[in-house]
Amino acid sequence: MRRLGSEVLGSLFWMGVGIFFALGGLKLNIGTLRNPGPGFLPLIMALILVFFSLSTFVNGLIRLETPVKGIFWSRQALMIASVFLYGLLLDWIGFLLSTFILMFFLFGLSIRGKSRWPKVFLYSLATALAAWVVFSWALRIPFPLPRLRTIWM
Amino acid sequence: MEFLGNILTGFQITFQPINLFYCFIGVFLGTMIGVLPGIGPSATISILLPVTFKIPPVPSIILLAGIYYGAMYGGSTTSILVNVPGEAASVVTCLDGYQMARQGRAGQALGIAAFGSFIAGTFSVIGLMFLSYPLSKFALAFGPPEYFALILLGITILSYLAQKSMWKALMMAVFGFLLSFVGIDMITGKARFAFGISELMDGVGILPIAMGLFGVAEVLENLNLSEGRAIFKTKLRGLLPNRQDWKNSWKSISRGSFVGFILGIIPGGGAVLASFVSYAIEKRCSKHPEKFGHGAIEGVAGPESANNSAFGGGLVPLFGLGIPPSVVSALLFAALMMHGIQPGPFLIPEHPDVFWGLVASMYLGNIMLLIINIPLIGLWVQVLKVPQMVLLPLILLFCIVGTYAINNSFFDVGIMMFFGVLGYLMKKFEYEAAPLILAFVLGPIMEQSLRQSLKLSGGSFLIFLTRPVSAILLILAGLVLVSYFFFKRKREVLDKGEKKV
Repeated sequence: MRRLGSEVLGSLFWMGVGIFFALGGLKLNIGTLRNPGPGFLPLIMALILVFFSLSTFVNGLIRLETPVKGIFWSRQALMIASVFLYGLLLDWIGFLLSTFILMFFLFGLSIRGKSRWPKVFLYSLATALAAWVVFSWALRIPFPLPRLRTIWM
Repeated sequence: MEFLGNILTGFQITFQPINLFYCFIGVFLGTMIGVLPGIGPSATISILLPVTFKIPPVPSIILLAGIYYGAMYGGSTTSILVNVPGEAASVVTCLDGYQMARQGRAGQALGIAAFGSFIAGTFSVIGLMFLSYPLSKFALAFGPPEYFALILLGITILSYLAQKSMWKALMMAVFGFLLSFVGIDMITGKARFAFGISELMDGVGILPIAMGLFGVAEVLENLNLSEGRAIFKTKLRGLLPNRQDWKNSWKSISRGSFVGFILGIIPGGGAVLASFVSYAIEKRCSKHPEKFGHGAIEGVAGPESANNSAFGGGLVPLFGLGIPPSVVSALLFAALMMHGIQPGPFLIPEHPDVFWGLVASMYLGNIMLLIINIPLIGLWVQVLKVPQMVLLPLILLFCIVGTYAINNSFFDVGIMMFFGVLGYLMKKFEYEAAPLILAFVLGPIMEQSLRQSLKLSGGSFLIFLTRPVSAILLILAGLVLVSYFFFKRKREVLDKGEKKV
């Protein structure tokens, strides 16, 4: 069996997006040509997207194409997960500490080599402190107050 | 006389200490991120946009614009010294710039790039001044049908110029339009595609989308790169190009400035295309084309001038018509909107301080860049030594905090991560992000003008063809589409031929 190529996979995704918006547009009021409603243009655009992806799909099936190469996931997935974990931590332990943990993790992920950990520790400490000074102190971005502190106090 | 008065007012505005300060910060940061590969001006402008909410509109636009043309300067440094483009617009500079560095002429290459950029930047500011004002007066007569037709033409040209496939670029534009519909409908007040989530009622923000597509996606892609950057070890002697260098390159600089400016005006043209076209022109015009790729100074001077000049060109439709032709001008469009300024033909008469202040700041910014770049080149070489693996986590942190700061909510960070993953996949599947962003910004204007036009005509689409300006614009859009299919065949035949060779 031939593996599905990038055109086919990509077009299937966009077709799904198009169908999703088309159904949403239908539920909204489409209105009339004289007085187009809020669903009018979304429906048209969604149908155009479906049409485009359909033609890309057919095109991809007809032509022999190579499967997509070079999509890596392991590090990327860890990085994405760490950002969401950071969102949770931010609420509980505050900006400074959670940023340190995030940076420690990220530097650990990106910097390579055997004796990297002292370096990773130093970099993440420096980044967390600098980020706190710049964002929280100088730019006054209101980060959430750590919940743990309020529980303790 | 009115003109002179305006530009003098502009300089008065720019010379206010706060504006000078932000102009300097902008061009300095711009040079820095231009030098660093892995983070581009679009991501930087998006990250800094929330910061500018707290400062008045004039300095914030000056700052954001400075980042962009500063990055165009900085990008050349990386291309010449490391053979890695700092920006997409400096890709061609690698060809001859790096060769010059290997021949011990890194100083001259950096110097001509800086001077060329300066001359082109100044040229494009003058062009901007002379073109946008009359254009905005002309556009005052535009009604909804004209605007609808103009946006359609813009998106068509943008997709036509897409680097990969026009079909896919059009798909991304349509997706951008669809995204712009999320949130409350401006005419009826009905919520669309919000699913009862209160954060979605105001629509998806442009900043989380832009930071995701240009910041996070880049980080995800570069995460697997192996560290392999070697800075060319050379003593930088003589940064000033000599008389022969000037003699060889002044024509290239003039041509580059002109070509860049014109391509900047065209939707989807912009700095990247400008630099490639300029390189091709220089090679064709040259008496010794065989020297190109082996350290021809014209191959540095032309493209580097062109990519700077393209920025000024890109501002012409933004200020004249309220239609941004490139991603960066789309971000400036969003910045103006966030400060309560509606870009369009009324901008210059209603907010002369913004337009003339920006124009004057770009003159000054170009002079600042010359000072920052030529004597301080050693500093930028040091910046270049920061390894990519240290930079990536920092870029991600900036994106997270920048997005968080927009509404002080983590919801936007989630949106940004979603678009980061989408952008990463789009790169792998060869879909371009630029049409998406532009369509997203133009979506509300397009929808409103279509609905108003149909109301005006009583439901007949003929209104777009009976009004001369919109008819001409639509015919042009049709011609672009037809020519794509006509030339596509030829292109495919040529491609096959080249592969065989």
